[in-house]
Amino acid sequence: MKILVCISVVPDTTSKITLDSSNTRINSEGLTYIVGPYDDYALSRAIEIKEQTQAELVVLHVGTADSEALIRKCLALGADSAVRIDSSAIDSYQVAQEIIQYAQDKSFDLIMMGKEAIDYNSGIVHALVAHGLGYNHFSPVMHLDFDAGKLTLEIETDLGKSKVSSTLPAVLGCQEPIAEWKIPSMRGIMTARTKEITVIAPTKVNFESQISAQVIETERLQKMIPVENAESLIDMLKSENLI
Amino acid sequence: MKNLAVFIDSKSGQVAESSKRLLDFVSNWALEHGTSVFVYGFEPFSSELFNAYASIKQYTHIKIPDLVNHNQVIAPLLEDIHQKEIGQFFYVKTLLVDTMASSIANSLQIPLISNVLKVEKVAAGYQLTKSVFSGKATITTEIKGESFLIAFSKSFSIDLPGHVGNSTIIQSEITLEKDPQNILIENHPITGSIPLPDAAIVVGAGRGLKDPSNWAMVEDFAKELGAATACSKPVSDLNWRPHHEHVGQTGVKIAPKLYIACGISGAIQHLAGVNGSRKIVVINNDPEAPFFKHADYGIVGDVFDVLPRLLNKLKSH
Ligand SMILES: Cc1cc2nc3c(=O)[nH]c(=O)nc-3n(C[C@H](O)[C@H](O)[C@H](O)COP(=O)(O)OP(=O)(O)OC[C@H]3O[C@@H](n4cnc5c(N)ncnc54)[C@H](O)[C@@H]3O)c2cc1C
Ligand SMILES: Nc1ncnc2c1ncn2[C@@H]1O[C@H](COP(=O)(O)O)[C@@H](O)[C@H]1O
Repeated sequence: MKILVCISVVPDTTSKITLDSSNTRINSEGLTYIVGPYDDYALSRAIEIKEQTQAELVVLHVGTADSEALIRKCLALGADSAVRIDSSAIDSYQVAQEIIQYAQDKSFDLIMMGKEAIDYNSGIVHALVAHGLGYNHFSPVMHLDFDAGKLTLEIETDLGKSKVSSTLPAVLGCQEPIAEWKIPSMRGIMTARTKEITVIAPTKVNFESQISAQVIETERLQKMIPVENAESLIDMLKSENLI
Repeated sequence: MKNLAVFIDSKSGQVAESSKRLLDFVSNWALEHGTSVFVYGFEPFSSELFNAYASIKQYTHIKIPDLVNHNQVIAPLLEDIHQKEIGQFFYVKTLLVDTMASSIANSLQIPLISNVLKVEKVAAGYQLTKSVFSGKATITTEIKGESFLIAFSKSFSIDLPGHVGNSTIIQSEITLEKDPQNILIENHPITGSIPLPDAAIVVGAGRGLKDPSNWAMVEDFAKELGAATACSKPVSDLNWRPHHEHVGQTGVKIAPKLYIACGISGAIQHLAGVNGSRKIVVINNDPEAPFFKHADYGIVGDVFDVLPRLLNKLKSH
């Protein structure tokens, strides 16, 4: 059994987003980066499956060398090896094409991703990759049981929740509570130092190019209503046609 | 220019508000560019619904099996798209159409761009504004080529005149087959309550409610307002409320006209899911709660005192 986990590297959820001096790009200076929280759920579940089945676990990231410390963290958590496709692509379509190209001849049984990358929030890389490889696809997956080559999944749909059964190979977009986030052990950190991060050149040409960026600041009224007059809130909301 | 396709979202014969806005936009866009629109949906509709749009030529009901996931079953749809010479596709994001659109994108080798707020034609191609970082910023990108798929964010903002002209459209049907590898075991549709992502008013509650049994109060209030209920992440982690109700960075992102947050501190990860709300009301007994800085109206008070009073006031109207 071979598992691939694809991780995005994104600004920490508490980051304040600003623009660089050209006013056309998000300023990456001063931002702390993390492995995407959903991708972290996917990785955590993949590590559990690895422990259960002795599967081989590879982590893949499409991005620049700046991300290597975070890739190392995934190795410390239990991935066997890592691959970085050296591209600064920001659009999901492009990222998916790179992943398809890489995974095409590697016969992974299970490819696990987050349901969406929290920077560009597209939520489509897993579906694109699944179609590109001809694998089964589900997202968002909230529970995953793996037994005798069969998957039993709890998924979210547009109308609610469903329980489904599927077969390998499959690509899954994961979300909580599929697993608990894991913390690397001291031993994990030590062994990760000797594990390999293979760097591969990108293949495709971008369709989409970024020309500018804008930060959204929603101005809020910050009007306080004394608790004695709490009821007046209802009149205010009515007069504004909000209720 | 090739033809255009729109996927519409509907439930029990009601077309979603965002899909109606999308039809307005795309039919105008088609008139401007001298091309035709083909509409796809997942329920049967009578043709009157579309007759007011001059550029809409056909409505196709895609009949889908109980579980649409396997990307190979869309072959009949691809064939249909090919015959209609469609080059540009537009929809408002849903899980169902995201999956189909991904398969179309890969099959035709054209880009799929997600979370779009706005599209414009420019000399070099097309310019798109996308919502990024959970609504904290937007980026504008350019795509070259005439063919693409665009997944609008639910809060896409295109102001265009409504219906233009009239037309007589053709109806058709295509059927997607069940995929034997993937089996639906159980379905748990969300019933009764108003679906969170589409609600115009949302009442959210957090750990300040102290116990799941106290949600009756929140539900009564929401019901009186015709609102959906939401919660913070710890509340769903504790299993006080179902997971699909949790809003924020790792949960649902909402953009209602009114969000009322009760006993929620206003952590940045929570704000990431509610920033898109037009107006925000915060009820919290701690005057230092960070949420007040992001509120339009704030009440410093005990939610167990304030909420019943607000409910009484509502009922007395
Ligand atoms: C990577 C990551 C992702 C996360 N994603 C999300 C997310 O998607 N959504 C989310 O919500 N959180 C998320 N969180 C958690 C977030 O940081 C906060 O911990 C969480 O939002 C706090 O929930 P809360 O406000 O309900 O609880 P608390 O922080 O415990 O706040 C409770 C509030 O209730 C008030 N209160 C108490 N009693 C009363 C009373 N009687 N009347 C009125 N007010 C009262 C208190 O003053 C307090 O402000 C995430 C965290 C991380 C690290
Ligand atoms: N640059 C990337 N490298 C590797 N995997 C990625 C990358 N970007 C996104 N992914 C994966 O695809 C999932 C969905 O991303 P997206 O469709 O961009 O929202 C993420 O949760 C990741 O698991």
